[in-house]
Amino acid sequence: MSIQVDYEEGRARVTLSGELTIYTAAEIKAALATTMADSSELEVDLAGITEIDTAGLQLMLIAKRNPGKNVRFVNHPEPVLRLVDLANLGGALGDPLFISALESQGSPA
Amino acid sequence: MTDASNAANIMAEALGTFMEEAADLLAQMEAILLQAEDGACSDDDLNALFRCAHTIKGSGGLFGLDEVVRFTHVVENVLDRLRQGTLHFDSPLISLLLGCQDHISSLIAAVAGSGEMDVARSDELIGKLQAVLGNAGAVVAAAPPASASDAEPTASGGGAIGSDHWHLSLRFGPKVLQDGMDPLAFINYLNQYGSLIHVETISDTIPGFADADPELCYLGFEVALRSSASKAEIEGVFEFVREEARIIILPPQSRVSQYLELIEAYQGEVARIGEILIACGSVTANELEQALVQQHGQDKRARIGDILVEHGAIQTVVVEAAADKQKRSEDKRSVEAKSVKVPAERLDALIDRVGELVIAGVGTHLQIRGINRPELLESAELLLALVEDIRDMALRLRMVAIGEVFSRFPRVVRDVSKELGKDIELKITGAESELDKSMVDKIGDPLMHLIRNSMDHGIEPAELRLARGKPARGTVELNAYHESGSINIEVKDDGGGLDRERIMNKAIASGLAAAEDNLSDQDIYRLILAPGFSTAEKVTNLSGRGVGMDVVRSAIEALRGTLDIDSVAGQGTTMRLCLPLTLAIIDGFHVGVGNSHFIIPLDMVVECIELPPDVGDMEYLEQRNEALPFIRLREIFGEQGPAHARPRVIVVRFGRRRAGLVVDRIYGKCQTVIKPLGPLFAEVPAVSGSTIIGNGEVGMILDVPALVRLCAGAARRKTPAMAQPALLTH
Repeated sequence: MSIQVDYEEGRARVTLSGELTIYTAAEIKAALATTMADSSELEVDLAGITEIDTAGLQLMLIAKRNPGKNVRFVNHPEPVLRLVDLANLGGALGDPLFISALESQGSPA
Repeated sequence: MTDASNAANIMAEALGTFMEEAADLLAQMEAILLQAEDGACSDDDLNALFRCAHTIKGSGGLFGLDEVVRFTHVVENVLDRLRQGTLHFDSPLISLLLGCQDHISSLIAAVAGSGEMDVARSDELIGKLQAVLGNAGAVVAAAPPASASDAEPTASGGGAIGSDHWHLSLRFGPKVLQDGMDPLAFINYLNQYGSLIHVETISDTIPGFADADPELCYLGFEVALRSSASKAEIEGVFEFVREEARIIILPPQSRVSQYLELIEAYQGEVARIGEILIACGSVTANELEQALVQQHGQDKRARIGDILVEHGAIQTVVVEAAADKQKRSEDKRSVEAKSVKVPAERLDALIDRVGELVIAGVGTHLQIRGINRPELLESAELLLALVEDIRDMALRLRMVAIGEVFSRFPRVVRDVSKELGKDIELKITGAESELDKSMVDKIGDPLMHLIRNSMDHGIEPAELRLARGKPARGTVELNAYHESGSINIEVKDDGGGLDRERIMNKAIASGLAAAEDNLSDQDIYRLILAPGFSTAEKVTNLSGRGVGMDVVRSAIEALRGTLDIDSVAGQGTTMRLCLPLTLAIIDGFHVGVGNSHFIIPLDMVVECIELPPDVGDMEYLEQRNEALPFIRLREIFGEQGPAHARPRVIVVRFGRRRAGLVVDRIYGKCQTVIKPLGPLFAEVPAVSGSTIIGNGEVGMILDVPALVRLCAGAARRKTPAMAQPALLTH
């Protein structure tokens, strides 16, 4: 699991890769908290996430519950999309989800 | 009811049934009277004779055949005297009664249109009968003629939820994630048992970012699942998280009230729960609204939709759309209701063959499993699955809405309430609940008795009702709903309730019980089901003669059902009929005791546990802080074969009672085609049928209601287990 934070024009870009699960949730939350202290605009890139569980999904919801901080998740990979879809949380999270034609047919590229 | 012609058709059909029944009953009367002439007439025959006249009178009254009722009532009086032993048969009396029997027959024939009712002949015979009775004065006035049906009954539909899926409400413990469990993985796993229709994640309880601990679980889930799995299977998915979690599983066809309970349980936590239920398709806006109006009384007419809009939870359009959608689907249903008529015997023949197919299929599958040919096994399994589908479909062919039976009661209630001078309203719910056609045909009469009984004995006269602070208008509710593989039908009145003391006194007086018997309320109420029992102080045209309730009981038992009676003094009585959905094929649970095989209807199995070694001679064990009475099948059936070192207890449930059955081995689920037992086994109380198991051996189907009763009785008497009589010696 790796967390990389870049700042550009007052915006923070957090790139996550590896697991977004109960094993990494505490660490990622701490990293997000640090980043939020510096910046109120966060873009979290999930492209590198290989595995997600309930704790990970819940962390995405938690990240959205910081008034004054705008957190967006982008580049949802297939495992994340699948879980968001199962929990029917696409609407609640509010991030645009890109579902490729191939993925929507159930065969990820 | 839009078309009156439809109602007329139903009435004509019912009249036809009455004619057939009456013909049978009259034939039976004749046979008994002729037998009596030979001097061979037992008490049972006298009871049967009386019952024939009583039934004809009762059904005749239902169709407004006043002349039949007037005449038969006098005949019945004479038969009642005979039954009580204050009058005895002699040859002139038998001739007279045979003449009466002929006359009833001709009166009924007149109804069918062949001739006029011979009222003069009635009067002549009544005169003779009264001479026999010795009280020429007591002529029974003919019942007032029934006027055209003006009062439409208020039938409120929607007692049971129309949706065909399970609803799961899941709240996991906060530590579930730390314990290495993944709630969404469980939900995903539910796909194994069916298809997830809708999942709603409840995230309202997540605290703000700063306070949230990412390792605690704050989420809850509402899940709609379409599945044919059993409740136990679905519960099994959550086996490892059950301790900390609150898991509510509502089976398909759950009643609206159960969803309301769910709503109330969570209302403080999530205001949107109503909306979520609607989103899941578990209830429709309409149903919820109806239920809430019912629950909160007439003063609170707010629609659930309005409530939801007030909470800012849902757009009005959405509610309207949901309500519209519901309405449209109902319209569609009524269109589809136009169907093909098939003679019942062809269906029966089909189901019989399907039964044979199932047995043959299981047998073949068993043999194929013995040889090592995976590809063959695979196709055999596919075949078996298809056969099971066909079985379910064939059985569904025979399912009809219970409303068919209910439709005749509004008229009964209307007429009877006039006759009794009581203002009584009939409320029907759940008329759309389905059950096997053969059952529908057989529960009409028992239900009729129960309803008449409630009206006559249950509902108090208006003055008394007012004095007790109840509305002058009495209510009888007829309520049908599905519950775990059986159908429950409730006849509920808001009358005076059963008088425990009076029943007991009467029972002691007639030798049905002894004063020192320590009987539970349930047992005392059950006494009213005994033959010849009636506490009514005055005998009316309808009931009070103590005939009926015993007939009701035997009719229900013949259908493998039970009758429970609940009563609250001053508030009313509920008679709850619990019947299996079908009589032909069931899913069975195959167990072994010694060398014998037994089948327990799977719907009644709650769980399997190991018999604690320290239970000794006790007849109950402690399970989750409740006493569970149990019996050993080995003793009941006098089984001698090899025992198992650690016997298992199958926990079964019927109606509200639970009991444990101790067996040696558990084989698992199997398809069971019920074969009736021959008359030879009629005396064996704990077995309701037999079946052929896949390997060709015979298995006995256990009569769970009887066993549960036996168990409950045994536990109360607190006699040592050894004293149990062996019912069947092997």
